[in-house]
This record gives sequence, C-alpha cells and structure tokens, in this order.
Amino acid sequence: MTAPALTKMTKIEVVVAGTDAPAVRDLIQSVGATGYTSLSGVSGLGHNGYHQGRLLFNQQATLELIITVVPEGKIEPLLAGLRPLLDASSGVMFVTETYVSRPEYFG
Amino acid sequence: MTTRTDTDTRRARLRTDVNLAARVVPTHYPLETFIAVNPLAGLEGLPFEQALRRAGDLYGMPGTLGEQAFRELHQQGRISDGDLDRALTLRYPHLAAEPMLSIGGRRISLEELLRADLLHGAGGPAPRRRFMTRSEERAPELAEIVDVQTSKWCGAYFGAAAWPMPGRENGFFSAWRELAPADRTLSRPVRSDLRRVPERADEALLDALSRLGVGDDDRIPYLQAHLTRMPGWAAHVAWCAGREKGIGVLGYLAMRLSYEASLLYLNRVDDDVDPVREPTEMPSARERAEGLIRAFGVDSATEDEVAAAARVLAALPVTSRELLWQNAFEANYRDDLLAALTSSAAPDDSDRAHAQVVTCIDTRSEGLRRHLEAVGGYETLGFAGFFAVAIRYTDVMGGSANDLCPVLIAPNHDITEKPASDAADEVARRVAGVTGMAGAESAFHAAKESFAAPFILAEAAGFAAAPLSAAKTLTPAATVGVRRRVRDVIAPAAATDIDTEAMPHNEQVLFAQVALTMMGLTRGFGRLVVFCAHGSSTENNPYQASLDCGACGGQAGAPNARTAVTILNRPGVRAGLRSLGIDVPADTWFVAAQHDTAVDRVTVLDLHSVPGEYRQDIERLERDLARAGAALAAERCTVLPGVTRQLAPGSASRHVANRSADWAQVYPEWGLAGNAAFIVAPREVTRGIDLKRRTFLHSYEAEVDVDGSALETILTAPLVVAQWINCQYYFSAVAPQVFGAGTKTIHNVVGKVGVLAGHTGDLQLGLPWQSVSDGDRLLHEPLRLLAVVQAPLDRIDTIVDRNPILQQLFGNDWIALAARENSDQPWQSWTRAGWRPWTDKNNTAGRGVYNEEMVP
Repeated sequence: MTAPALTKMTKIEVVVAGTDAPAVRDLIQSVGATGYTSLSGVSGLGHNGYHQGRLLFNQQATLELIITVVPEGKIEPLLAGLRPLLDASSGVMFVTETYVSRPEYFG
Repeated sequence: MTTRTDTDTRRARLRTDVNLAARVVPTHYPLETFIAVNPLAGLEGLPFEQALRRAGDLYGMPGTLGEQAFRELHQQGRISDGDLDRALTLRYPHLAAEPMLSIGGRRISLEELLRADLLHGAGGPAPRRRFMTRSEERAPELAEIVDVQTSKWCGAYFGAAAWPMPGRENGFFSAWRELAPADRTLSRPVRSDLRRVPERADEALLDALSRLGVGDDDRIPYLQAHLTRMPGWAAHVAWCAGREKGIGVLGYLAMRLSYEASLLYLNRVDDDVDPVREPTEMPSARERAEGLIRAFGVDSATEDEVAAAARVLAALPVTSRELLWQNAFEANYRDDLLAALTSSAAPDDSDRAHAQVVTCIDTRSEGLRRHLEAVGGYETLGFAGFFAVAIRYTDVMGGSANDLCPVLIAPNHDITEKPASDAADEVARRVAGVTGMAGAESAFHAAKESFAAPFILAEAAGFAAAPLSAAKTLTPAATVGVRRRVRDVIAPAAATDIDTEAMPHNEQVLFAQVALTMMGLTRGFGRLVVFCAHGSSTENNPYQASLDCGACGGQAGAPNARTAVTILNRPGVRAGLRSLGIDVPADTWFVAAQHDTAVDRVTVLDLHSVPGEYRQDIERLERDLARAGAALAAERCTVLPGVTRQLAPGSASRHVANRSADWAQVYPEWGLAGNAAFIVAPREVTRGIDLKRRTFLHSYEAEVDVDGSALETILTAPLVVAQWINCQYYFSAVAPQVFGAGTKTIHNVVGKVGVLAGHTGDLQLGLPWQSVSDGDRLLHEPLRLLAVVQAPLDRIDTIVDRNPILQQLFGNDWIALAARENSDQPWQSWTRAGWRPWTDKNNTAGRGVYNEEMVP
C-alpha cells in the first residue's frame, strides 16, 4: 500500500448534526489543518435510529460529513477538541491512516 | 517541558469547551433581519420542564407565568377546575383511585387537595441564578464593573458611532487589548495588570481561567455563567461566529474573564470570601397542609390527618405547580380548538372559485383569509411566505442583495429586478430620484452624528425640521401622504419585472411542482391564483423586521411572490407541469400581491404584466381585497390599545393607516401575538371558524402527497420556524427581564445590531414589552405550540422516526401534536408510547397516559 511517492497522513471523518458542523470546521481550522471537505444532507442509521438525509427547506437539521487530512503533529490537538464535542452531541468520528501525493497541501 | 503539541491541544480543548458553553446562549440576529428564535433552543435536547429548570439556574428567570397570574386566569374562567384536574390526572394517573382523606370530619379527595394547593397554596422563592461567576458570588460590585466594561466595548465595536473603535479592523479582542490598558475609568493597577493579557484570545482566556482557579472540569459551567450574565451581547457575538465579523465567543469571554481576574486579584478577593447567597424560603409540605386545612375551614384536624395531607402534598413540589398550571392553561385552549375543528363545516363543493389566494402561514393571514372568503368566490390556501423560492434578491436600485428565505436554508438562486419592456427610461428616472433622496438623507444623518456639523445643521435646516417633526406628531397620516407624494414626484413609480433567467428551466418546473403539491393546489385552478406575500409599514420602529415575513428572513416577501408567479406563468413551465400530471388551465393567471399587515391593505403587484383579458377579474379582486382588509382592520381595532369604541370598516381603515404612520406609536400592530397552534390540513377543516388570528395555517392534502415528502417538508421547516416564533413570544411574555426587549420608550439603537434599554447595559433580546402586552395587561397568552395535522398517522410516525429534530420537539414537549387521518376520525394525541385518543374536556377517558417528564 505504501507507494514510495506517497506520504502517510491521518484522515479524520466526522458526522455531526448540521448545527454542530460550524464548531467542527472552526476546530479543524484552529489547529492549523489546511482544509476540509464537507458534505451536507447525509443520511444513515446509527444508535439513535435512522437519520433522514436531505430535507427540502431545512439544512440545519440534517447530518453533515466533514473530512480532513492532517499530519501527525495535528492529530492530538484535533482529537482533543473533537472528543468532548462528540461526547456532548450525537455524531461519530472515524480516524484512519491515509496517504497523499502532495504533503505540502496538508500543512 | 510544554511542547507545541501540548499547547495546541490545550487550545483546541478550550475552543471546544467555549463552543459547548455557548450552546445555552440564544442567537440574536441583527435588527434588519430580526428572526424570531427560541431563546432556549440550546436546551431543546431536554424535556421542556427540565429545560425551564436549567434556564432558571442559568438566568434566574421564571419559565412560566407566575402562580398569581394563573390564579387570575382561573378566576376569569380561562382555566377551569376541570382543566386543573386533568392536568393533575395526567401527572398522577392513579390519583382518582386513591382513598379519600378524612380531615376534621370532612372527606377530601386527593384531587381536591392538590387542586386546592394549586389555587391557594403558599408560593416558593423566585428563581435564582445558580451558575454564578466568581465576582458575582464574592464581590458583586466587581461583577458590575465587568458588565459595564463589556457593554462599553461591545457598544463601541458594534455601534455605528461617527468615531469608530480604533483598531476595529484587527478584530474585537485585538482592538480591546490595545485600548483597555489606557482606559482611565479603571484604576492604575488594573490598567497595568491588563497590559499583561496575552496576545492570543485563547491564551488570554486560559490565563484568566488559571488565575481565577477554574479547573478544566468546571470550565464549561463557568463560561456559561459569564455568557448568561449578559445574554444579549453574548447572543449577538454567537451569531457573528463564522460570519467574518471579527468577533467570536472566545474573544468575548477572554475580555470578560481578563477583567474579572484582574479585578479580583487586585482587590484581594480570594476563595476564602464567602459567596453572597440569598436565603431560599420554600414552605414545607406540612406548612402547606396546615394552610390548606385552614382554607377548607377545618379547625380541628388531628396530627395524623395533617401528616396524611402533608404526605400527599409532598408528591407535588411547589416548584412543579406552575407547570401544572401551564398544562391546564394549554389544555383549555387546545380542547376548544380541536372541538371546533371537529365540528367544522363540510367541504365547499361550490362552483369554480373566481380566484385562489395563497397567503403566508403567518397567523395574521388567517384573518384576511376568513374575511375574503366571507365576500364569496374565493378559495384561500396557506403556504410559507417565501413560496418555495429561496432567493438572493437584488432590486432595480442595485444595492446589496438580500437573502429572502428562511434562515434554515441558504438561498439557491440569484434573482434580480429589471425594467419592464419599454420602461427603461422611467426606471432610470426612478433610480436617479431614489439615489438622490438617499444621498440627502444620508448626509443629513451624517451631519447629525458628526462633531461640529450639528450646529451648522441646526442653523441651516432647523427652521424646516422643527415644523416637520410637529406635523409628523400631530398629523402622521397626512405627513406620510405628503412625503409619499413628494417621493413620487422625485422618484416616480416605474414598471419592473423579475428576471428569473438565472434559474434553469428544469429547476423552475421542479419549484412549480413542489410548491403546488405542498399546498395541495393541483387541480380546480381559478382564473386568478394570487400569491399574497406580506410586510408591515411602520415608522420609527427598530423592530420592523419582527413584523415582516419570518419565512423571508425578516423582510417583506413581495419579491418571492413576484418570482413565483413569473415562473408559474411561463408556458414552458406549464408544459413541464402538465407532463408531471398538474394541468394548469390556459385561462389561469398567477398574480403577485402583498398584504400590509399594519394597515390591512393588499396591493396587487405588477399590474402591467397582467394580460388585458383579466382586467375585470383584477378589478373584482382589488375591490374584494379592500373590503376584506377593511373588515379585518375593524376586527383588529377591537384589541388595539387606545381604540375605545367599535369602528366601522371604513373608520377602522383610516385609524390603522394613521397608526402605522405615527412615529410615536408603540403599538402599530400586534404582530403574531396570541399564536398558539399550527394547523396542517385542507382549508375545509378550518373554513368558517374564527380562529382569532392565533393559528398558523398550512394547506395540505394528504392524497396528493403519497410519499409523504410534502408533509415531511412542512413538519421539518415551517413548523420548526413557527415553533421559534411561538417560543420567542412565549419567553418574551413569561421572562421579559431576560428574554424580552423591555419598553420601547427607552430603546436606543446600537448600530444595526440591536437596542439597549437606556444608554448602556446588555443588548436586549426578544420582543419589546409592547409586542406582548398592553400596559400591565399581558395580551399574548404564552402557550406552547399545538401542531394539528390531518394525515395518515403511520405517515406521521414514519416522518418523526427519521427526523431527530421532530423526535426532540414532540418528545420533549416543546410542541404538542394532535392528528387524525380524515375528518371522520377522532383526534389523536402523539405520545412517546404511541397515539392516544385526544378527548374533549368533558371526557377524560383515555388521557391517563403520562406523557411528560416528571421532575421532582
């Protein structure tokens, strides 16, 4: 998997309610991550039951998936901020190894 | 050794704690887009009663009317003994089965005893803030200084003073940090201490928390104590987050806690100082029992009898009585409403309506619809006032674009106003005139606010300004009429159209299908279909936006109505609709209009674009709308302060016109005061019933919404916004000191963000006192929203099951839900345990299901 031209990073994916998404994005930026990908209106089944995806006239009540990729030094601060946020909200977080071809894009 | 990672970790953890702490703070929108919000939205995850307790701890506010107010409502017959008994039975289902008490030879049922406690029992202490700052607990005079400084710097940052806050462009915290050490209102040691505040806001806040001795585990409640101390400023700062305003909750808290840490340290106030706490006086169950026994006229109760009564009363804490009163109050209104809907008129099978008039769901539209239908020949429908077009609108003046849609969504189309064909010259003249007048007005206000110019201005323009002010006061309607005529000369009206080219054809068809399906208007079209937006014309009213359309972001909705009808009149869109099974007849024309709710005048818009063959239809429409509007004005005048006699429709129209033009009028209209229910059903369910402008009415036909998507949209958007409005009015009425904006007579506007009561203090939240009361008499009855839905119950269940927001609102008792599949079925009540019959007040059978969180 470790192609010579790729650099190891950590991918953090967070699914939270639309109302909590700004706090997550704020946190990602505050630790110095250089970017994120955000997907609103995601649906799914979790321990709180099924969550409807896209709602026609309400973008705040649906779930949002936020993905960021960070180098090692930023993992601990980001997780330290995300954990209490998710403890106090419905939402999930996935942390995985990933590889990028242009590490300078990720700080 | 502290590494970079450690530092970043501490900062990230702090940032999250600040975000979590700020959840309890309401959102305060700027005045020009004032949006009604539930001030306790951050507590909606809790059952209503628990949320009130938490809010009481945070703000020291009551969560319902006081017991004395409820007892007066009982005396007035607004709450009956039966309502109280049912509220008690709901909370204590086995009450009636318990053996009666014998006291001094008299037999008293438990229900009777508890009802007597509600009616006569001694009250408890007023709510008290329990989340307190160190300075609030130990040195209240220092807490006052922190508040004064907060108000001063927030006012400087947000205000529109002629001298802007130096360094403002660098953001609030940075500017404050530069200026505060030079503030001569503080002692030299404090100023000196403030010089050591770290450059970064997060480090400053961490430093202050450390100096104050607040540990990590206590941090969130401590930050909440600071945020709720002045909730108005905190709420507006919270709104600014993510909006590039240069201020955030972190910087705001860093400022407050830096002051507090310095003041407590330099005044040698440490943890050894005992907190200042007021004593609480709660009557014991025994004291309550003795009081009630006396109220029953019994003077020879034994010790055992008193103890038995006390044991019963112990099950009903004094602090729970007010919510029981609240439940009884709500049941009284709800039972009457559902009974009226049950016995409503049969479907109208008359001939094709001359016109369908689609109004906003706003409670004020109910009156207009009722009076228009009484004229005859009209079918009315209700729909969210943005008419399903979420637009960013730029008018022909070319100023900044406005988002005209509910704040729940972002606008998805840029729509512009353009000159009508052959009207380019007229529009150019109008633009030049309006621009000139705006420039003159701007120069006048700039001169008033600058340093020396007011003296010159008084010399130059005083001779005209004084008589004008007198005229505005003495003859407001005439003065506004003159002003309008002058404006029409300088900037004459010009025909314009709406340019919808930015919206792709397929999206226009989709919009048309969604809008018509959601309102249940897919057949039986009249010659005219009127999309009637609303706005409110008032003078000198910072809260103007609260009277405009909430579905249009607190602005008048005419552009949305114009956009919608432009799309629906397109032949290509009609063809697209036909392919989707919605056949709009060729002789049907969609027309935009706007209801001015302050004067109840409805203006039909864009007459130049209506084909000539509809001329007589339009004349009839305008005539009938004028008649309905006058009748509605007469109805409204019966409850407007200062109107001492019944006015005929013509007189009433003149009165409300005068009132809306009066710059000293603090009661221009009642807005949505009285709102209490949200009905999602065909008009047949409500037609012919005087709902007293208390209900949001959303049209819905279950049979044309087979997959339930329209109902899901209605329940997750318009209902949610209605609940915000309902809670805004509710808490402005029950907790005006915290969540109301106080009296209008002492309001001072701060820039565009809000008002202060007087010249300093906290930014005022919620609605002015004159929006909910007439003097000391509360006009708005604070009732939680009842949602009434006519749709298959399993469809509602499916929608609730997949939308946590609805589970929260219904399950935590922020909204009650009653539903039935069709008019042949009895109303059912949604409970966490499933549907239960909703019976009228004379029949309590089936209501013995406990559906409320019990809080001891």
